[in-house]
Amino acid sequence: MSKTLYIDENVNDGIKKFLRCILENGKVKGVLTLINEGEKIAYSLISNPELIKYTVPLYPIMPLNAARSLSHITLSEPISEPIAVVIKPCEIRAFIELVKRSQGSVENIFFISFTCGGVYPIKMNVNGKINEKIDNFWRLIEKNEIDADLRASCKVCKEFIPYNTDMTIFLAGNKEINNQCRIFLNTDRAEDFAESTDGNIVQDKINTELIDELKVKRLEERKKLFEDKKIEKLGLEGLIDIFGRCISCHACGNACPICYCSLCYFDSQESEYKPVDYESELEKRGAIRVPPNTVTYQVGRLIHVGISCVGCGCCEDVCPSEIQLSTIFIKGSESIQEKFNYIPGKNPEELIPISTFDIKEFPEVET
Amino acid sequence: MRGAIFKIEKDFDKEIRNFLKKTIVKKFFGAILIPCKVPANDSYAYLLIRDEALIEKASILPPVMPIQGGRVLKSFTRLGKIDAKVAVIMRPCEIRASIELSKLEQVDLTNVTLISVDCPGVIPLSDYLEDPVKGTDTFKEAFKTWESDSVRELCKVCYNFTLTGSDLHIGILGSEQGNLFLIPVSEKGRNLLDFFNINYENDISSWENIVKKKEDERKIKRKEFRENLRQEIEGIDNLLKTFSDCLNCHNCMRVCPICYCRQCFFDSDALNLPSTNYIKRAENRGSIKFPPETLLFHLGRMSHMITSCVSCGSCEDACPVSLPISRVFSFVAENVQNLFNYVPGMSVKDPVPTITYEEEELKEFENPYIETYNIQRM
Repeated sequence: MSKTLYIDENVNDGIKKFLRCILENGKVKGVLTLINEGEKIAYSLISNPELIKYTVPLYPIMPLNAARSLSHITLSEPISEPIAVVIKPCEIRAFIELVKRSQGSVENIFFISFTCGGVYPIKMNVNGKINEKIDNFWRLIEKNEIDADLRASCKVCKEFIPYNTDMTIFLAGNKEINNQCRIFLNTDRAEDFAESTDGNIVQDKINTELIDELKVKRLEERKKLFEDKKIEKLGLEGLIDIFGRCISCHACGNACPICYCSLCYFDSQESEYKPVDYESELEKRGAIRVPPNTVTYQVGRLIHVGISCVGCGCCEDVCPSEIQLSTIFIKGSESIQEKFNYIPGKNPEELIPISTFDIKEFPEVET
Repeated sequence: MRGAIFKIEKDFDKEIRNFLKKTIVKKFFGAILIPCKVPANDSYAYLLIRDEALIEKASILPPVMPIQGGRVLKSFTRLGKIDAKVAVIMRPCEIRASIELSKLEQVDLTNVTLISVDCPGVIPLSDYLEDPVKGTDTFKEAFKTWESDSVRELCKVCYNFTLTGSDLHIGILGSEQGNLFLIPVSEKGRNLLDFFNINYENDISSWENIVKKKEDERKIKRKEFRENLRQEIEGIDNLLKTFSDCLNCHNCMRVCPICYCRQCFFDSDALNLPSTNYIKRAENRGSIKFPPETLLFHLGRMSHMITSCVSCGSCEDACPVSLPISRVFSFVAENVQNLFNYVPGMSVKDPVPTITYEEEELKEFENPYIETYNIQRM
């Protein structure tokens, strides 16, 4: 049993009421959440409580992984006065991974998240199709079911319960979302904030049956996705087929919350072909693709970020060639993370495996 | 204008491939850079080919432009030229980008022979990828009519679709009558035709006439397009609205052939401000959008590359939120380029306005500080 804040409004209005309250009573200086300006939905840092009415904190859209924005704000110095952020579980996990890499600081950030039902591809926000979907989205949340139109990465996500969050809003499988907003208070800070509002604080516990039920469905989807794409049997030929249409724009890396390098190795002079390299490839193989290293980039990036990939799916969302990147990256990173028994963003104290050294590690793969 | 007339029997693509093969076999060229189908047959990529058998997979005019040829040639020659002579087959806007890049010292054209082709436009990448087979048919239709609504927005109103600053131009407009035109423009182009004893002193007015007609049609369309777009984007409110969906992914910059900086200023640490800055701005204005500085990025990028913008439309193809970005950029580019009486990529000789200095230039835009602010001289 843990302390839970009950607000007698539907979940969307409930969380907005809470956000407005903590802005007004000065608990936080600002709120980072999604805002709906006309038909456009984007993240915004809001300090005027009057603007909270335009926010859509739980809207199933991720314009870019918010971890990138949090890192942008806190890279040169931690935030000096508290702000609240309402972001998705994978966004918090990505941010924790960035903090482990000294790319930001959690100081003075009050995290609010929820048992996440997933998001729709960004294209559906652009072409407005999401508006037709949104009612159904909430119906499916109540039923604890997965919408077929969600991001591929969301349909197969098994980490939809947030870690390292001060507050968790109960969404997945919640039949009462239209009547009541239930928020679990995970930290003392959360209790303090909750007490400063006029909601009821009661003892409650998260319904693990509902969580398990959704997890089973997501794992089934995951299995199905990997089987459909025959991902285990891809091999080099398969990768060439999939990445053949890559235009080397590196948008995936630019959108990836984990890819934080300001200059990617694959954009550096180091990786550029010299005339002699072109000449020798021409002699050896009779032809070479220009620019070269299409598959190398993808595999290289997977090696660099695989251990920390949170499976958010932003890479796929921004790919102009519509390559099913998240499927490859989710499978690839799952294999890496399982080997190290590491869940990225779960435990802020746990070191990233690539930054630790064990003398006796993986002797079986050594040659 | 004079050129060679090539009788063609079946499709022009095949005839040109055969000709290119000969240039390799006879060792006139050491390699050919040309678009080819990728292994999965669902897109195209530039291949640098020496093995003449592989030319069979090449396509002179693929239905899409996944990577702008200027970027391809930059990747190939930025660190220097290879010793062999190389032929590059590209669309006119790709040739123009390559020439701009050579003036900006990002492309080395010394051993390169640029061959351009009349271009009916390209299908937007996402439309094509939805169904590559259907996309190919759509392109065939566009090739037949030259007035297709299925091509990129900028292709619909492009009047630089033919001969530009290349060494040799392949005229395919009007080729349904069984003629193809090889038009040498430079010494390199003439050398190639001389080597194969091709007479290029023929009258090609039939091609010229049809080109002229199409150009005039396109110019009228372009005018209409400008008028409509002006209403959509003019003024700061419209500009903000136009770019409000921007995710700040910088993909437009990544695919732009002219944006050659290895690290963009807008990706540099210069824009990583202390957290207090963002909080203060949120307080002052009530809220601040994240990621911030999206419009600043577009306007900044615009001021950096606009004199050389070739209006290829690659930026819009790559935008994940479908902003009308290429249209806005092309609109502004035309204004700026007219101001300098400059058409990018038409000749290696015309200096890029941003890297030339004239003391007496654009006086009308100067803002004399002393007069404007009525400052008393000391």
